[in-house]
Formats: sequence, C-alpha cells, structure tokens
Amino acid sequence: MTSDNPFIPHPATLKRIVDLTPDVKLFCVEFDDPALRDSFDYKPGQFGFISAYGVGESPFGITSTSSQKESVDFAVRRVGTVTNALHELPEGATIGVRGPFGNSWPMDHFKGKNVLVIGGGIGFAPVRPVIISVLENRSDYGDMLILNGARTPADLVFKDEFDTWSSSPGTRVELTVDRGDDAWKGRVALLPDVLMELSPSSKNTITVICGPPIMIRFTLEKLKILGFGDDQIFTTLEGKMKCGLGKCARCNVGEKYICQDGPVFTFKEISQFLEQF
Amino acid sequence: MTQVISKNDLLSWLDKLISQHIVVAPANEGELVLFKEVSNAGQIVLNDTLITTLSPKDWLFPRTETLFAVERKDGKTEVIPSAPNKQVVIFGLHPCDAKGFQLLDKPFLAEPEDTLYKQHRENTTLIGLGCTQACPECFCSSVGTGPHDNSNMDILLISASNDTYIVQSVTDKGASLLSGAQVQESNSSSPSEPGIEQLPTEGLVEKVREVFDSPYWSRVADRCLHCNVCAYVCPTCYCFDIRDFANEDKIERIRTWESCQSPGFTKIAGGHNPRANKGSRLRQRWYHKFCYFPHQLGGEVACVGCGRCVRSCPVNIDIREIIRDIQNLEAPSDK
Repeated sequence: MTSDNPFIPHPATLKRIVDLTPDVKLFCVEFDDPALRDSFDYKPGQFGFISAYGVGESPFGITSTSSQKESVDFAVRRVGTVTNALHELPEGATIGVRGPFGNSWPMDHFKGKNVLVIGGGIGFAPVRPVIISVLENRSDYGDMLILNGARTPADLVFKDEFDTWSSSPGTRVELTVDRGDDAWKGRVALLPDVLMELSPSSKNTITVICGPPIMIRFTLEKLKILGFGDDQIFTTLEGKMKCGLGKCARCNVGEKYICQDGPVFTFKEISQFLEQF
Repeated sequence: MTQVISKNDLLSWLDKLISQHIVVAPANEGELVLFKEVSNAGQIVLNDTLITTLSPKDWLFPRTETLFAVERKDGKTEVIPSAPNKQVVIFGLHPCDAKGFQLLDKPFLAEPEDTLYKQHRENTTLIGLGCTQACPECFCSSVGTGPHDNSNMDILLISASNDTYIVQSVTDKGASLLSGAQVQESNSSSPSEPGIEQLPTEGLVEKVREVFDSPYWSRVADRCLHCNVCAYVCPTCYCFDIRDFANEDKIERIRTWESCQSPGFTKIAGGHNPRANKGSRLRQRWYHKFCYFPHQLGGEVACVGCGRCVRSCPVNIDIREIIRDIQNLEAPSDK
C-alpha cells in the first residue's frame, strides 16, 4: 500500500536481525512492496522512522547505503520505549518505515580529500555509510582513517567489518575502548587521546564525527589542535523528532530544523545557530 | 453600495446553513464561550465585542486526531488512513483567528503537505465577525491584521446600526454560500474600526536576534509554571506530539497538541535534554514566534495579537510587556 500522506509508514518486514553488541541490534529491513524495494533511494547520512505499531515511532540513521539492494539497515540501541519494543521483535515481524529524510553526508564535496571517520559507541552507525561510500568509489577519495571507540570491547559495533575495511587500499582502522577485558589486546584509552596519538594531518582532510556529547566536545578540542577548521568537521545531530517533515517543531534548534536542514551540519554551521544544543 | 443583512435574516440564513453543514460558532459552555457545533442559530453567542476562551484552531488542527489506524487480521497488518470529509462552516470568528489559520497554513501546507490539515482546510468555510470594540488585551493591528481585516475570511460581517450587518463577500466559496442569504443593497457605509492598542513591533524580528543571550528570559521564566496554557489558547501554536494507542485488536496513531513549554519537549531517549531549564523553554516559544517562524516561513510573525495568552496566564506573563521590554533591552556585550 502506498499513500501520499507523509505520516503513513510503508509496511516492511524485519528480514534479518543481528546482535551487534549486548544492547545494539542491526535491523535489516525489507519493504513489503516489491516496487518500493527497487525505488527506495537514499543518500548516505539520511534517516528514517521505524514504527513499532502500538508502541510508537522513532527516527534512526540508515547505516547501509542504497547500493545494497537486499535490505535497508538500521543499528538500534535499546534505550527507550520504542527501541525496547523493537528489540523484542523477532525476524519476520511487521514494522513500518517512513523516509528517507534529511540531508546527507556531502560525499561529492569529500572527493579528492583524505577522510577521517570518528565514531563513538552507537554514534559509529550513522558514519558507517561514509566508509562504505568511500570504499565503493575508492579512487575518488584520499586516505581514510577510521577511529571507532566504545566503552568496552563488547560495545564496538560492526566488529565483523574491521578486517575488510583495514585491508582495503589506503584505509586504516583504529579501535579503542574505555575499559578492556581479558581477551582485548587493543588500545585502552579515551578516543580524543587516541586521536592525538595518531595525529592525522588536517591538510586536505575532512572529518565526520558522531558520538556521545562528551566525546564530541573533547574530540573537537583535539581536532582544533590538529588544525582542523570548523568547516572541515562534519557531524550528524540528534534531536527529539515526531514528524521528520519540518512541522512538529520538536527538533527546531535556532532557525533550523534538524530533520529538514540537517541532520548533517559542519561545526561552522552549528556555531552560527542562534541556539546551541 | 454595500451589502447588508438584517439580524433576523442572518439568523434564518444560519439555520439554513446548519441544515446543510456542520456549523461551528461561539456558544456557551458553562461559564465559557467556546467554538462549538451548534444545532440552531439561537445557540450562537452573537457578540462582536467578545473573544472566545479558546481559538477555533482545533477545527483545523484537532487537539487529538487519529492519523491512521492499524488493524491486524490473519497475520496481516493493514494501515487505514484517516480521511476527514465533513464540510464545516466556522461562523463568528474574529479577524485575529482567521489570521491564525493563514499562519497555520504556512507550516502545514509547506511541502510535503500535511494531508489531514489540508483536508480540514479545504472543507472549511470562514464567516467572520468584525470587531466593533477592542478587547482589553488585544493588539491585532500591531501584528499584521486588524478588527475589520477580511483578507483571511470567506465572508466578513460587521455590525452596523439598526440590527443590521455589513456583508463582505471575499472569496468564491463565500459568495456561493451567500447565495442563500437575504442580502440587500444599501448605501450605508461601513462603521469605522475601533482603536486598538499599538505595540512597538516595528523591527522586532531583527531586534530579537540580538538579545538571545540576555538574562531577561530566565528572569521572565522564573514565575512560569510551564502549565502550557499559553500554547493551548494560542491560535498559532502548532507544535505536536505523535503517539500510539493500542487496544486489543486495533492500534491508532494519534497526533495531539504539544507545547515547547513542556519539560520533556526536547528530551531524547537516554535522557539528554538540550532545553532542560524554564528560561530556555520560554525563550524558545518566543523565538519560534518572533524569530524562527518569520525566518523560515516568509517573514510574518506567528502571533495574531488576540491577547488570549495574556488573559489566560496564571502568573501574568504578558506578551505585550515582553514586546515593549525587548525593544528596550540591550544586547549582552559578549555577543
């Protein structure tokens, strides 16, 4: 069923569910309408709403890219009412999806530049489409450094993909955790400190960053020291949202609506908002 | 020549309209006068000096409205969209409230259009009543409308002498409705507009940008109870919430009014709340109306000067006082 009413979700099925961490699941979603599976086109960094009927609807960044035709993927952390309900659903369950919404990571603008990808915790999910897009068009971009941090080794999302990414040309993956465990041989350090240790050049480099506010704050300080200008640093903002259509006014920050003007902004743009979130 | 209708003919015409449409008009509800569906013209409080406690906003943007229902049958999930199709005539609204609808059109009819709002809007005809006297709290002519402004009406009536009303047919929709009324030609002139308090709104949108970081907002908000009544009575406040209600066999997704004054308005799952204090929330309501709305949606402020928030606020927060204060505030020096 399709509808012109932008509040009506597309019926869809949870085709595959993968446990990424103890509290994050990857939902691979397939639209029930075969025509929509082909026509549903989205850009890296856009988001959609998932409905758990009877409980509610919440916005999530799409963590796949539209070159993947089998499903549209969302990484969902169990943190509130809707995400708790979604985590209870089995494979094959019916959900609703609205989208895609918002702007996207400006992949064309990134062309010819080195790409520094920084993700903390579940914040790594919305930057993953940048990694996939770069790898799909590898020669269009310079070197890529991927920095993924989490509280513990078990909380690192997309672990299965690190080896593939790091064996790609010009691509390096660095991981860090706040607290290790017996099996963990990697870094135990805060992400901003690892960034300083690696000290990537800011020359002809852009960075995309997403993570908890405290991580963002300290990482921004380090990026400044490394010479990154506010217009070289891209992030994706999170906000309370109900419609995704620029109407409910929940995600209004300054003159902007995160759902329509964002979610992707440079820190230069954010610093010019009248209100700071 | 002007067109006029006698009060008796007006009431007969209204009774005729009531037989054909849903007619919503000011009517008594306990001690209040509210816009209600009426079943005969005698129920209408025909008073051009009185303003209803609530605006008629909920006839286009209901307080609670089902967006769609979900039914589960034999393992199948079916989504059934709401499709309102009632023809509604709103009678007796003042120009401020019609201006409110014109302002609500901006967010709701911007692409992608809000389907339900648009259906309500297209199914609604507005027959207004001009004001012959200013309410103590109103300032409509300072915010882009006025006591005899017919520009957002389908028909405007203005009370004249001898129990007659001047009839201004504004739109084709209005004209076709009027074809059933005993309207007569007359050479009487329209009564002059009542004097309305003028506020210093000139340059307000620009001025307000400069004082975002002023401690003024926290000071005003100190006494705010975040009861949300200002948003509830406001003809242009349109923030909303969406939630699901589930019965055993049926689920409804419902839209309800919400207010940026609610503490949880911006709180996200996990607990982060970027607007956790009252000052930032009171400022948000003000800035949405007088800065963001004009910035995003074509220049006009989201206030019609009806004065309802002034009358309803339990702690006397007065939008008129804030407008005057803003014009005299100094921008914080560090910005």
